[in-house]
Amino acid sequence: MWLFSRFIARRLAGERLRSAVTALGVALGVAVVVAIRLANVSSVRGFEQALETMAGATSLEIVGSAEGFDERRLVALTWLGELGRLSPVIEGEAMYAPRGIAGSASEGDDRAAIEGGRRRASAGEMLRVVGIDILRDRPFREYALRSSGREGEGPSAREFLDLLRDPRAIILTAKFAGRHGLSNGGRVDLAIGDRVEVFTVAGLLDDVGPARALDGGIALMDIAAAQVAFGKLGRLDRLDVRLDEPEQVDAAEQLIASRLPEGLTVQRPSRRGRQVEQMLAAFHHNLAALSYIALIVGLFMVYNTVATSVVARRSEIGTLRALGVSRGRVLRLFLGEALVLALPASVVGVLLGRVLAVGAVALTSGTVSTLYVATGSAPPALDWTHWVLGLLVGVPLSLAAAAQPALEASRVSPTAALRGADRLETRFRLRRRFLVAPLALAALGAWLATRPASGNVPIAGYAAAVVFVFAAAFLVPAVLFAMARAGRRALGFRRGSPVPGSPAPAHRFFFVEGWLANASLSGAIPRLSISIAALAVSLAMMAAIAIMIGSFRETVVYWVGQTLTADLFVGPSSRSGGARQATISEEVERTIAAHEAVEVIDRVRQIPVPYGDSQAYLLAGDFTSLVARGQQLFKDPRDGKAAIRATLGEDVVVVSEAFSIRHGRGVGDDISLATPSGRARFRIVAVYFDYSSDRGVIAIDRAVFARHFGEARPTGLNVYLREGADAMAVRRALLDTLGASHRVFIYTNAGLRGEVLRIFDRTFAITYALELIAVVVAILGVAATLLTLILEREHEFAVLRLVGADRRQVRRMVVWEALMMGAVSQSVGLVVGVVLSLVLIYVINVQSFGWTIQFHMPWWFLTQMTLVILTATALAGLYPARLAARRAAPIREE
Amino acid sequence: MTILEVERVEKTYPGGEAPVAAVRGVSLSVAAGELVALMGPSGCGKSTLLHVCGAMDTPTRGRVAIEGRDLSSLDDGALTRVRRERVGFVFQFFNLLPTLTVAENIALPLLLSGGSPGEALERAAALANRVGLGHRQRHYPQQLSGGEMQRTAIARAVVHRPALLIADEPTGNLDSASGARVLDLLRDVHEETGIALLMATHAPDVARIASRVVHMRDGLIERIDAGVAV
Ligand SMILES: Nc1ncnc2c1ncn2[C@@H]1O[C@H](COP(=O)(O)OP(=O)(O)O)[C@@H](O)[C@H]1O
Ligand SMILES: [Mg+2]
Repeated sequence: MWLFSRFIARRLAGERLRSAVTALGVALGVAVVVAIRLANVSSVRGFEQALETMAGATSLEIVGSAEGFDERRLVALTWLGELGRLSPVIEGEAMYAPRGIAGSASEGDDRAAIEGGRRRASAGEMLRVVGIDILRDRPFREYALRSSGREGEGPSAREFLDLLRDPRAIILTAKFAGRHGLSNGGRVDLAIGDRVEVFTVAGLLDDVGPARALDGGIALMDIAAAQVAFGKLGRLDRLDVRLDEPEQVDAAEQLIASRLPEGLTVQRPSRRGRQVEQMLAAFHHNLAALSYIALIVGLFMVYNTVATSVVARRSEIGTLRALGVSRGRVLRLFLGEALVLALPASVVGVLLGRVLAVGAVALTSGTVSTLYVATGSAPPALDWTHWVLGLLVGVPLSLAAAAQPALEASRVSPTAALRGADRLETRFRLRRRFLVAPLALAALGAWLATRPASGNVPIAGYAAAVVFVFAAAFLVPAVLFAMARAGRRALGFRRGSPVPGSPAPAHRFFFVEGWLANASLSGAIPRLSISIAALAVSLAMMAAIAIMIGSFRETVVYWVGQTLTADLFVGPSSRSGGARQATISEEVERTIAAHEAVEVIDRVRQIPVPYGDSQAYLLAGDFTSLVARGQQLFKDPRDGKAAIRATLGEDVVVVSEAFSIRHGRGVGDDISLATPSGRARFRIVAVYFDYSSDRGVIAIDRAVFARHFGEARPTGLNVYLREGADAMAVRRALLDTLGASHRVFIYTNAGLRGEVLRIFDRTFAITYALELIAVVVAILGVAATLLTLILEREHEFAVLRLVGADRRQVRRMVVWEALMMGAVSQSVGLVVGVVLSLVLIYVINVQSFGWTIQFHMPWWFLTQMTLVILTATALAGLYPARLAARRAAPIREE
Repeated sequence: MTILEVERVEKTYPGGEAPVAAVRGVSLSVAAGELVALMGPSGCGKSTLLHVCGAMDTPTRGRVAIEGRDLSSLDDGALTRVRRERVGFVFQFFNLLPTLTVAENIALPLLLSGGSPGEALERAAALANRVGLGHRQRHYPQQLSGGEMQRTAIARAVVHRPALLIADEPTGNLDSASGARVLDLLRDVHEETGIALLMATHAPDVARIASRVVHMRDGLIERIDAGVAV
C-alpha cells in the first residue's frame, strides 16, 4: 500500500488532467450502458406495472380474439363460477380533449396532436378507460373514492353503482383530475375514436389500486356504458377470474383450458406484458448493443493509460525490481492503477447514467409509443441492480483492459533501470503478423456474418460486427506505418533524402511542423495504435450506423413513394396518440364520401393481434381495391397481385416481410389466428415489403375479415380524389366540415410522407445520440494520449526550441499530430464502417427486424462527419499543444 | 570582432526558501575566431553561464550581447530567432530527436527557419560527410554510438552557419577515444569556419586548443589562463 501510494497514486495525482480524462471516459461508458438499461426497462416496466396494478387480484383471464368475444358466450361459462369469482372487462382508450382545442386544422396541428401522444403534452393525454361491472369487480380491485369525507373507508358497492348509473358518468383518478383542473361533478371532454364525447366526472379515485397505474391515466366506467362508448356492443374484451384458491393457479389453468369452448383462451395477466416485452426485444437489443460501444471505447482508454504509464516508467519499474519488489507486486501495482481509476468512474457513471436516462427516455418513449405501446415517460429510479450492473461492467472490464500492460510491467527486468533515459521504443517495422491478424479476423467475421440468428437475436451478427471491429483495431499499426511513409513522401522526403525537384508549394505552409508531426507519430506507432484504434473503432461504428440509417431512410423513401398512392389519409387523432383501437365513425366516413372531389374510399382496419409469443398487426383492407389500385411491392411472388386475384374471397392472407422473417412463415404456409368463433387457419399467398412496423403485418381482405371477426369500424380511410382535385383544398374543406365535433387527422399524400420520415428520424435520434457519446469518449482518448505523449516528450520539445523552433511551431506541430491521428482514425473508420454497415444491413437488421434494406452511401453525411472529426481532433490537440509550447523551455540538462 | 559580450552577469534560481546563486557576477567576452574553454568543478555555474550566453535563459542581473545585440531587450520570439540564426549548441547528452534520421536532425535548424527541404538536406548531407557520417545519414540516433551522436550534434550546431557555438561538456558522456575525436572535430570546425566557440569541459588537454581557459568557482571567475593556441 505504501508503495502504491508513492508509486501510482502520486503519479495519478500529478497528472490530474490525464487521470480525469480517462476516468471520464470510463464513467461515460458506464453511464450510457446504465442509461439505456433504464430506458429500456422503463418502456417495458411501465407497461408491466400498469398491467400488474390493474390486474389486482385477478389470477387468470379468459380472452377471445383480437376483437374480443361475444358476451352471450358467458352463459356457457357459468361453470367457471365454481372455481372463483368472475368479472367481465372492457378496455378502451380515450384522449383527454378539452374544449377550445378544435379538430386538426393544419398539418402542423396534426403534428401537435401526435406530440400529444407523448402522454404529457398539453391537452392530448391518453386515458385508459376500464369498463367494469362494479358489483362483480369489487373482489378484484381496490378502489378508494375521494368522497363523502369518510376517510379510510372505501365506498360501498351500492354507492359506486349509483355513481355509474348514468351512462355518461366516468370516474377519474384524483391525480389526473388535479393535473387538468377537473373537479368532481364537472364535465370532461374525451375523444374516443374520432368523436369528442362529454362525460360527467362522477367521482375521483385516490392513489390506491389500479388508480396508481399509468401515472393516474386510468378511468372507470360502467361496463354497459363502455360497450356503447367504444363501439363494442355485445362484446367483451376479457373475463377476469379470481380463483378461490389462488395457489392452485396451475391446476386451474389446465382445467379451464381443457374445458373452454373453441375460440377462447385462458392466460395469466402477465402474458400480455411478456408479449410487449417480446415485441420490443429487437429494439431493445439493438439499443443495448449500441450502448456498449461507448463502454468499449472507455476501456480502450484504461488500457491506454496503464500501458503508457508502464512504458513511461520502465526504468523505475526496473529499479523497483532491482530493489527486490516481486513480479506479483508490480502486477498488482498497475492493476491497482486501473482500479483506482475505474471504481470512482463507475460510481459516477451509474449516477450519470440516471441523468442520461432521462434524455434516453425522452428520445425513445416517443418512438415506443408511436411504434409499439403507450408507456411511461420517466425512467425508473436506480436500484441495486443498476449499481451491480455499473460496477460489474466498469470495474472488472477495466481490470481486464489493464491486464496486458500490467503483465508487461511485471515482466520488466531489473536491468531495465540501467539503460539510458532515451526513448525506449524501437522503431516500428511492418511485420507480416500486422496484416495476418486483421485478415484472419476479417475472414472469421465474414464467416460469422453468414450464420443464422438464434431466436430473434442475431448473436452471430453481433459477433461478426465485434470481430470486424477488432480486425480494424489490429489493422491500425499497419495503416499508421503506411501513413508515416506516405506522409514523408508527400512532404518531400524519401528515407531522409530530398526528392529531386522543387518542393510543393504547400511546403511553405505546413512543411516543417507537419513533417515533424509525421516523424514523431511514426516514432510512436505501437503506443499510438491503441488510442487511434479506439477512435477508429468508434468512428467505424458511427459511419456504419450512418450508412445503415441512410440506406434505411432511402429505402423507406422509395417504399413510401411507391406504395402510398391515396391522396388523403384519414384517421382518428387519438390513434396517433397511441390509441390503437380508435376507429373512424360513420358520420366522418359519410361526410368524406359526400365531398364532390372524393372518388373512392378504401377502408382499412389495423389492430394489434397476439401472434406466437409476440404481437403482430392484423390489417383488414379491400383486396379488390388492392388488386386494382394498390402499388404494394411484393417480395414473393414478384407478381403478388396475381396471387391475390386468384384467391380473392378465400381464407388467405398476405404478410409483411418482417412477419415472414420473424415467424419463419412464407408463401404457401398456413397461419392460425384466434377469431371470435374459434381459431381459423389462413394460407399465406404473398409476402410484401413493409417498413411500417417491425412486429409484422398480416393483411386480410375485408370481406374475409368480416366473415371471421364480424363487422367492425375502420381505423383509417385511404381516400382517392378525382382527377385534378386539389388535395390540400379538399383536406381543408373536410376539416372545416368535421369541425369541432370530431377529432381526425387528415394527411395529404405529401404530408404523410413527411410524417413517415419524421417518425423515422425520431426513431433513430437515440442511435445518433449514443454514437455521438462514443465518439466524444474516443476524442477524449485522443486528447489523453496526446497529453501523455507531450508530458513524456518535454525533453524533445526543449531540443526543438533549442535548435530554433518558436512556440508557434511547437504548437502547430502538436496540432498536426492530433489532426493526423484524426485522419488515420477516420480513414480506417470509414473503410471498416462500410464493412460493418453491410453486416448491419444484411445480417443484423434482417435477423432482428426482418426487413430488407437497399444499400446506399450517405456521402454528404460522411463528408460532414469527416470534417467534424478532423476539426474535433485538431481542437483536442489544442490544449496539449499549448501545454507543449508552454513547457518547452529550452533545455536544462543534468 | 566581438561575438559575445557578458557584463557582470548574475543568475539566481529562485528555488523558494533557498535561492541558489549559480552565477554571481561574471564578465567575459569572446571574439570571432576565439575558442574559450570554461573549466571548474561540478556545480560552479558553467552550464548556467552557457545557457545565459546562448539566449536560452535570461540573467537575473547584468547584460549579455551577441554580435552587439543586447539580449535583455528581446522577447521570446526574438530570442528564438537569435538562437536559430546566430547560435549553435552541443551538449553532454546529445539531444538529437529520436524520430528523425541523422541527416534530418542535422537539417532541422534550416528547416525550422523556413529553408527548403532540398537545400537543407543537401547541406546536411555535406556536413554529415564532413563529420565522417556520410554512410550513416539515413540512420536513426538510436542506431549510432555516443561519439557518432555527438558528431551529428556538432553538424547540427553549425548547419545554419552561426556566429557562436556553445558546447557544454561535449565529451562528458563519451569514452576517451571518442571524446578525443569529438574535440578534434570541434577544433577543426572552429578553425575552418572561424566560429567563436565557448566550451565548458573537464578535459585537461583542452587547454592545448583553447585561446583562453576561464576557471570558475562558486559562480565567479577565479582566473583566466592564456591557452596554448594563442
Ligand atoms: N534549474 C535550476 N534550479 C535551481 N538550481 C539550479 C538549477 N540549475 C542549476 N542549479 C544550481 O546552480 C548551481 C550551478 O549549476 P550548473 O550551472 O549546472 O553547474 P555546472 O554546470 O558547473 O556543473 C548548482 O548548485 C546547481 O544545483
Ligand atoms: Mg553543467
